[in-house]
Amino acid sequence: MNKAGTSVSRRRLLTTIGLSAGSAAMYQAMHSLGFAAETKFSGPLRLSAAPPDASVLVLGAGIAGMVAAYELRNAGYRVQVLEYNSRAGGRNWTLRGGDRFTELGGEAQECRFDPGLYINPGPWRLPYHHRGMLSYCRRLGVALEPFVQINYNAYVHSAKAFGGKPQRWRVVKADYHGHVAELLAKATQGGSLDGGVTAEDREKLLDSLRMWGALDKNLRYVTGATSGDRRGYERDPGGGLSGRPVLSPPVGLTDLLDSGLWAALALGEIYDMQTTMFQPVGGMGRVGEAFGRELAPLIRYQAKVVDIHQDERGVRVTYEDTAAGSSRQTAQADWCVCTIPLSILGQIPMNVGGPMAAAIAAVPYCTSVKVGLQFKRRFWEEDEQIYGGVTYTDLPIGQISYPSSGFFAAGKGVVLGAYIWDMMNSLQFTSMTPAQRVAKAVEYGSLIHPQYREEFENGMSVAWHRVPSAMGCFGLWSEETRAQHYDNLCGFDGRIVLAGEHASYLPAWQEGAVTSALDAVDRLHRRAVAAGAAA
Amino acid sequence: MNGRTPSAAGVGGLAGRRLAAGAVVIISLVSAAALLRAPAQAETAGIFDPSSLGTNDGGQIFARICQGCHMTDAGGAVGAGHYPALAKDPTLASRQYMALTILMGRRNMPAFGAQHAIGFVAPPATLTDEQIAAVINYVRSHFGNRYKDSITAAEVAALDRPRR
Repeated sequence: MNKAGTSVSRRRLLTTIGLSAGSAAMYQAMHSLGFAAETKFSGPLRLSAAPPDASVLVLGAGIAGMVAAYELRNAGYRVQVLEYNSRAGGRNWTLRGGDRFTELGGEAQECRFDPGLYINPGPWRLPYHHRGMLSYCRRLGVALEPFVQINYNAYVHSAKAFGGKPQRWRVVKADYHGHVAELLAKATQGGSLDGGVTAEDREKLLDSLRMWGALDKNLRYVTGATSGDRRGYERDPGGGLSGRPVLSPPVGLTDLLDSGLWAALALGEIYDMQTTMFQPVGGMGRVGEAFGRELAPLIRYQAKVVDIHQDERGVRVTYEDTAAGSSRQTAQADWCVCTIPLSILGQIPMNVGGPMAAAIAAVPYCTSVKVGLQFKRRFWEEDEQIYGGVTYTDLPIGQISYPSSGFFAAGKGVVLGAYIWDMMNSLQFTSMTPAQRVAKAVEYGSLIHPQYREEFENGMSVAWHRVPSAMGCFGLWSEETRAQHYDNLCGFDGRIVLAGEHASYLPAWQEGAVTSALDAVDRLHRRAVAAGAAA
Repeated sequence: MNGRTPSAAGVGGLAGRRLAAGAVVIISLVSAAALLRAPAQAETAGIFDPSSLGTNDGGQIFARICQGCHMTDAGGAVGAGHYPALAKDPTLASRQYMALTILMGRRNMPAFGAQHAIGFVAPPATLTDEQIAAVINYVRSHFGNRYKDSITAAEVAALDRPRR
């Protein structure tokens, strides 16, 4: 046997697997969210008493704005919040039956979901380590339940692989691990691994590969009881005379690699998506609603900020009362915490210095689109035994997410029928009418679930660049823009400090809004106390 | 990344939970193999490539990309902020200005220049120099704009753009 030749080809193959694992564009977006640091949150903020009569104007009643208002109010500041929408929450938002949403351009949608059914157009899940968000949920009495992220019985799907037939996550994962383990085991046994493996390690490595990859006693990943215990069966084991299981054969390595489906497997390993995840019972919007109730006396709704002006004494904000014929009003305070998304803030006159102004202008916004679809029955559960979780696809819809609550319920269900990240697809969906987006989501989704055609009832779509209060989904930082602008964005400019997911290392995550608000409030308080002592 | 090593304790049970050999029936590989060789569904061909719009028609490009924000009639929109109208827009007098805006982006408008791919979060939308020239010429001759001059792909290509 020509050891040198085969070992080179094995090494090359393993290298290829490693390299290509990082190159799958269709899952790049979700991957990237995982490169975030752990939350800085280490327990409720404890501010000393505010200086007498000190005041703060908070712009925006999203998560960042309401966290800031909540903490500053508790410390004794006079707080006023200005909010463009007529509801609290900002991008923390749930659409339920009876809700109306009018997007930029004037298209109005009326949500026709049945009672109890909803979609979250914005954030929809809470990692277990986003301790700031979890802490506010606890303090505000927002009930949480598990959010199913990884479902071994959901699908990974490529229109270009396996004849377009969706593959179970479980099967792709088992086969991918199995084949890789077998290759590594062969390389280990053949002594062709590049150094570093002692004789003792070698045996342990082989044992671990056998376990990790579900290899048989000959270190092969083949049709058998061992692989069946991972990938499942053609017919599951049961009892009695009819209980004999029928094994299913693994997919070949070449077909598996060619399919690209392995790219989805890393998603469940990402720090931000590892189990256990949570969701508020009844929709993510429950958080914003609870904050809104808590802070009701402080919030002025339907207030469109049109000018922000500061001098050495304080901050004066001009806004239009959109409920009252856009009449202009002003609000004043000693300090300002501004959480308006940069997509909008960049258009509002504000006398800050060049560095902060440049930072505000430097951050484009993600163009994500979500579509919610109501079906007459929960066919994904009844027909396919999929309970929560996500199917990933290279179709333009990106993914299908099944509800993490109401399992086994009779009657209707709502799935997230599209969550579109890549910008060429999401811009094209944004350019459609709401009805066209829903129709497209049904058309594409039916390639994965043929039941769509029969069971679909109605849908809602939200294209974030068309949301009047946000005009974008979240700030898109690159390494370069972050190095150049991030500190300037977050630092105080006179009496103004910015907060929000855009002022965090957790883009798009609500925890970024929470921790940026706490960071800003802490710095504001120290300044205010110092200024009060000097006065 | 987080440097934690998985505990071996939880894995042992897996190895022990094997079915006795012989209690199983091995099915034919034929059906699976046939499935693997099946070609992709024809009806889905051509709609999945997010790297290209597959058209150099200026009107098509406007309708599929630009009108997402600038609206069907290029009239723009007003919410908490606004999207500028491109209809009857005097700033379009400079075709190079328009090209640079498309290439480099502006605030929440993404950059469409291939060299200006956003670092890491979302796969960017890129337009070719031909597509950028086509949509510029379309907008500058529609929606009440009556500019007589036009831009070529070569002119777009010659413009300076950020490189990564």
